Amino acid sequence: MLTLDFATIFHGRYADWLLAGALTTLALFAVSWVMGFVLSLLVVSARSSGVKLLQAVAFAFVGYHRNVPGLVQLFVWYFGIPQFLPDAWQMWINAHGSEFIFGCIALSLNAAAYMSEDLRSGMRSLPPSQLEAARALGLSYVSAMRKVLLPQAIRVAVPPLVNQSLGLFKATSLAMAIGVAEMTYATHQIENETFKTFEAFAVASVFYWVFSFLLMALGHRANRWLRPRGSR
Amino acid sequence: MRSAVAGLACATLFVGLAHADRLSDIKARGSLTCATLSGSEPLAYQDPATRKYIGFDVDTCAAVAQHLGVKMEHKPVTVEARIPELALGRVDLVAAAMGYTKERAEQVAFTASHYQIPLKVIVATSSGITKFADLAGKKISANKGSTPELHARRVIPSADVVTFQDAPTAFLALQQGKVQGFAIAQASGSRFVSETGGKFKFLDETLAWEATALAVKKDEPALLAAVNKALEEMEASGELDAMWVKWYGPTTKYNIPREKKLTPISRF
Repeated sequence: MLTLDFATIFHGRYADWLLAGALTTLALFAVSWVMGFVLSLLVVSARSSGVKLLQAVAFAFVGYHRNVPGLVQLFVWYFGIPQFLPDAWQMWINAHGSEFIFGCIALSLNAAAYMSEDLRSGMRSLPPSQLEAARALGLSYVSAMRKVLLPQAIRVAVPPLVNQSLGLFKATSLAMAIGVAEMTYATHQIENETFKTFEAFAVASVFYWVFSFLLMALGHRANRWLRPRGSR
Repeated sequence: MRSAVAGLACATLFVGLAHADRLSDIKARGSLTCATLSGSEPLAYQDPATRKYIGFDVDTCAAVAQHLGVKMEHKPVTVEARIPELALGRVDLVAAAMGYTKERAEQVAFTASHYQIPLKVIVATSSGITKFADLAGKKISANKGSTPELHARRVIPSADVVTFQDAPTAFLALQQGKVQGFAIAQASGSRFVSETGGKFKFLDETLAWEATALAVKKDEPALLAAVNKALEEMEASGELDAMWVKWYGPTTKYNIPREKKLTPISRF
C-alpha cells in the first residue's frame, strides 16, 4: 500500500532542484513567448504582404514548424546547427548555457509558426477594405499593418493565442531532452533518486496546472483590455 | 450442493493464489520473463543481421532460465522502466546493467553481484584534463537515471552533471564541447573511446566500482534464492566466465578482465 511522502522531495537539494526547475521553466516560457510573438508578427506580415518571395519564405517557415515534431526541431538546434558555426562561436555558446539558448530558439520558432497562423486567421476575419482604406489614408504597408490591421487581428486572435501560449508552456518540458534542467527534468531527477514517483509528478502536475491557469486568467484579462473602447 | 462445491473450489483457488509465489508461477507457465536493455552493446542489443536480441545480459537471462528449467521470455525495456516493470510485476527478472544502490535495494531485491565494472569519466584527449579535480566547475554529461550520474555527483560535487536520454546523446554533448566530461561505466564507454580513434580517453581515476546484479521483485524469497543458486552454479561451472570472455574478453573491443567473481550483495 502506498503512503505519500512529500516531505522528502520538499527538503534539501530536492527542494533546490524543484525551485531551480520551476524558475527555468518560467524563464524558458517567458523568453520563448516574447521572441515567438514578435516573430509571429513578422511572419504574418510577410505572409499577407503580397510579395511572392516573402510569402514563400513565411509559408515554408510555418510548414516546417507545424509538420516536424518539436523534439526533432530541438535536436536540430542543439546538436545540428552548432556544427555549422565557427568554433569560437560554438565555444562561446557552450560556455554560456547553450542548452538554454538553443532551447529558447527552438521553442520560440515553433511558437511563432503557430501564433502566426492564429494571427492570420484573425487577419482573415477583417474585411479586405480595411487595408485598402488604410492605404488610401496614405499609410505605408508596414504602418497599415502595425496601426490598423494587426491590432484588430490580435484582438480576434486572443483566444487561440492563449491556447497556443498554454501549448508553449507545456512544450518547455521537451527541453529536458537536451539537458535543460527545467521542471520536468527536475522532477524526473528526483523520481530517479527517491523513487517517489507519484509525489514527484504530482508536484510537477500542480505546478503546470497552476501556471496554466494563471495564463488563462491573464488571457481573459487581455481579452477585456483589447476590446474596442466603449464596449468594455 | 453444486454451488457449495463451486464455492469450495473458488475458495481453494483463492487460497492457492494467495499462497502462490512467483517462482511456482514461473515453473507453472514454463517461462521466465526477463527484461534487458535494448540498445546497449554488448549487454543487450539487436544483431544487425538477424534482428534478434543478443548480448551478455541476454545470455545471462537464458542461462538462468535454463537452470530454473524453463524457457526465457525476453522483454527489452528502457533504463528508466526497468525498476517499475519489476515493481509492477510485469517481468520476473531484470538483467539490465543494474548497478547496486541502497535506494534501488529498497525497491527491488538484488541477487548476488555477478560482475563489477569500474565507473569512469571520458574526456577529450586535447582538453588537458587529467584528473577529477580538473573537472571542478565544469560540466559532466551522463545517461539520465544511471549510476555514473549518481557517483559523478557524489565524487565530483563541484561539477555540474547534465543528463541526457541515452549514452550516445550524452557522448555527442562531449564531442561538441557542450560538456567537458562524460561519466559512464567503462564497459559501455569503451566503444566511444575506441571508435573515435584517440580523440577521447578515460581518466585514470575511478568514480566507483559498480556491483552489477540481477533483480527480482521484492518479497519473493523463493525466486531470489533460486536465481542466486543458478548464478552460483554458473560461477562454479565456469559458465559466467565463458560468457564474460565471449562479450568482454580480449578478442572484443572492450577487453575488460572479469576481476571480481560472484559476490553476495550483502557485501556492498
